[in-house]
Formats: sequence, C-alpha cells, structure tokens
Amino acid sequence: MANDPLSLTFAALADPTRRSVLVRLAAGGATVNELAEPFDISLQAVSRHLKVLETAGLISRGRDAQFRPCHLEQAPLKAATDWIATNRQIWTERFDQLDEHLEQISTDRQREHER
Amino acid sequence: MSDASTELGELTITRIFTAPPEVVFECMTTPEHLTHFWGPIGTSTPLDRITVEPRPGGRFETVMVIDATGDEIPVNGVFIEFDPPRTISFTEAGVEGAVVTRITFTDLGDGRTETVTLQTNVPPMLMSPEAQAGLETMFVKLDDHLASL
Repeated sequence: MANDPLSLTFAALADPTRRSVLVRLAAGGATVNELAEPFDISLQAVSRHLKVLETAGLISRGRDAQFRPCHLEQAPLKAATDWIATNRQIWTERFDQLDEHLEQISTDRQREHER
Repeated sequence: MSDASTELGELTITRIFTAPPEVVFECMTTPEHLTHFWGPIGTSTPLDRITVEPRPGGRFETVMVIDATGDEIPVNGVFIEFDPPRTISFTEAGVEGAVVTRITFTDLGDGRTETVTLQTNVPPMLMSPEAQAGLETMFVKLDDHLASL
C-alpha cells in the first residue's frame, strides 16, 4: 500500500477494531492480552491489527519479549486531525465567499430586472 | 451551516445556499464564478489560471496565489463525475496521497440548495486509471484493500 505517513495513518484508522484499540491505549499502555479482551477475535487477529498500527507509527511497543506492552503515539494522529482541520477551514472560507458571491449575483439580477 | 467529521480521514461539510441548484452548480464549475470565491481568505484564484473541462475525465485545475507572498499553490484535479446540477466529484493528486472530493446539490424547493461536500484522503496506489473508473468502484476497492491489511 501507499507508504506516505498520512495515507498509512488514515488506512490504519479506517478499521473500527483498530480505532477501539487506540481509544483503549489513550487511557494508558496495555499488553496484547489486555487489548484483546473486549473483542470477539483471536489473539492473532489482534496482533495483526497492532502490526498495522505500529507500521503507521500510531503505537510503539516495549522491548519486553513476552508482553511487549503497547503505547499510543500522538504525532501521526495529530497530523491526521490537522489535515481535517485545514481542509475544513478552506472549505468553510470558500463557501462563506460563495455565499457573498451568490448575494452579489442576486443583487445584480434584481438591478437588471428593475432597469 | 452544520458540519461533522464522519470518520478520520474523511471530512463532510453540509451547507445551505440561498440560490437554486442550477445557479450554485454553475458557480462551482465556471471559471468566471470560481475566481470570486475559490481561494480561501488570504489567497486569490486568477481567472486565467482556472481550467474547467466540464465532463468526466476532464481537468479541474486552479492556482491559488497567496496574496502576501505571491506564492502559488497549483491544484490539479480531474473530474470523476460531472452531472449538472446534481453531482460533481473530482480527484486531486497531492504530495500526501490523493484526495477525492464529491459534492452533491439538493434542491430544497424554496429557492435554496443544500450541498454536501465529502472529502476523502485516498492512498495514491488506488488512484490508477482503472480505479478512477468510478467513485463507487474506488470506494469498494478501498474497502477491500483496507479489509486485507
């Protein structure tokens, strides 16, 4: 798949299980077993999700070979929300100006009509 | 105005304009109109730097000039759908993947139009010509791709 950071982040975030994992990790580090508990899926499936999250840089994992506790990494999430915030801002300003433009068109047409 | 982010990686903006769909659609797809509002605050979009080829596969290109510095931000889009006065969608390839924007225009029947703008960040590998065949196809492929990760 595409490996630029933002695409990796969005792809990783597209799955509801992975989002739930991130929400859990926002409350503090956890082991694979702890993360798997609320889900009706195998440990292997959870491990695959964690791998995707790790590749996207959204989590980091400890060195302890047996437990490898997971931790949330904030930076990629911030980049993702920044993308959304920037684009929201652009479209909002654009549409505000379109509002004004439509008003101008309406005024012009009215004047034309009155002539 | 109301807006909400439906998913991370997606942006949805709903706006109601006081004009019928034909007028709003024309504004969104005609250089003479776009030049008045397309560039966000602090930028302008000169008329002679806007290209609109009003058909699926046609170019939708703008250059936003930053007023303070004169720096130019070219945005090179390609229409996927062009269905007046109901729907446009277009892709923009950028440095950070590609973005698909789809805007629907709904007649509210009282001289007003509701537009829903959905913007999705799509990994570049899904932007092949085959994938561009249709937005639906593309989202299906994206879903499949994401499911396979």
